[in-house]
Amino acid sequence: MDSPSDESLLARYRTGDAGAFEILYARHRQGLYRFLVSLSSKAELAEEVFQDTWLSLIRSTSQPQGRASFRTWLFQIARNRLIDHWRKHGIHNPLHDSYDEQLHGQPDGSAGPEQLLSLSRDQDRLDAALQALPEDQREVFLLRLHGDLEVPQIAELTGAPLETVKSRLRYAQQKLRRLLAEEVPA
Amino acid sequence: MTDSRNPQDPNDDVLLQHFRQHTRGEPPASLDAFILAAAHREAPARQPNMWQRWLQACQRPRWQMAFATVAGVALLIGVVMRSPVPTPELSTADYSASPPALARPAPTLAAPAPIARFAMAPQADSAQVQAEVAGAAVDAPVAKMSKQTAATLPFLEQGLQEILRLRQAGETKAADEMLLRLHKRFPKEDLPAQLEVLQKR
Repeated sequence: MDSPSDESLLARYRTGDAGAFEILYARHRQGLYRFLVSLSSKAELAEEVFQDTWLSLIRSTSQPQGRASFRTWLFQIARNRLIDHWRKHGIHNPLHDSYDEQLHGQPDGSAGPEQLLSLSRDQDRLDAALQALPEDQREVFLLRLHGDLEVPQIAELTGAPLETVKSRLRYAQQKLRRLLAEEVPA
Repeated sequence: MTDSRNPQDPNDDVLLQHFRQHTRGEPPASLDAFILAAAHREAPARQPNMWQRWLQACQRPRWQMAFATVAGVALLIGVVMRSPVPTPELSTADYSASPPALARPAPTLAAPAPIARFAMAPQADSAQVQAEVAGAAVDAPVAKMSKQTAATLPFLEQGLQEILRLRQAGETKAADEMLLRLHKRFPKEDLPAQLEVLQKR
């Protein structure tokens, strides 16, 4: 039997089925939390935005509109909440920085496919590599990584052109491969 | 990057898998508990389905009265519409099952019914019995007719008969007075002629 879709679970919760929310929450809690921690770089802020996101979903009566999936909708709510927090506290929104992708997206000849098997597994190094990415590239990569969103969904969520999202994602992955590459013992 | 939906090459997918496998970080258990408790607390009231709504309606006194009334009317109509005509088999069984003692006439009866006598004397002359039956059949309507005619006799004829009775009893004075009263009441009638006709009967 196919598991129920996110949208049907949300609809069931809206009619009073609290168990449907538990399934929905279990599916997305980890990805959303990791997305927020990586994007904000602060665990406390991530927890606050995480809580606000789920509470607004609980208290709202709205549903994903149009072709938007529940996941896109959820991550968009979280992203908007984070941006609201930055605005509220007078923090410059790093996601709106203009970025010269050509300059930062130089081809990296040292990260060949043969080195993929030797990517660092160290958690701190993974985190450091993510933090080393420009904000807009990091956001796109994190939405792909933790939200499991496709490029068109990311473009819709961020409001960026499709080709821009593609290039951001490509440059982010090239840089991550370079940063995480380890020497393979001979 | 040949597909807009999946721009990554297989190496990019490996990179994503690598991050997914080695990235840690979970929301605190207290945060999970808080959000789930809020979800349960603020979940909309569950809407009952049609069957549950029907049951709830049945539990309300007003609807109970309505349902009871409808059921009572339906029962009444069912009873009224049911025809109590016995089947032929049933009537035959009733007659055949009647005890012989009931078929016989009671000894105290002074005048048994003709049909009973017919059953008691099968050896009697059939013509005589038929005559008796016919006579009984005729007597009953005549008696009934005499009662009806006595009740409906005109006042004039009753008065004339009374006059004849008085004359026969020798009370001629009373008879004359009654004749006078009748004459006042029916001045256009030929009372002496009617008295003669009545006397001749």
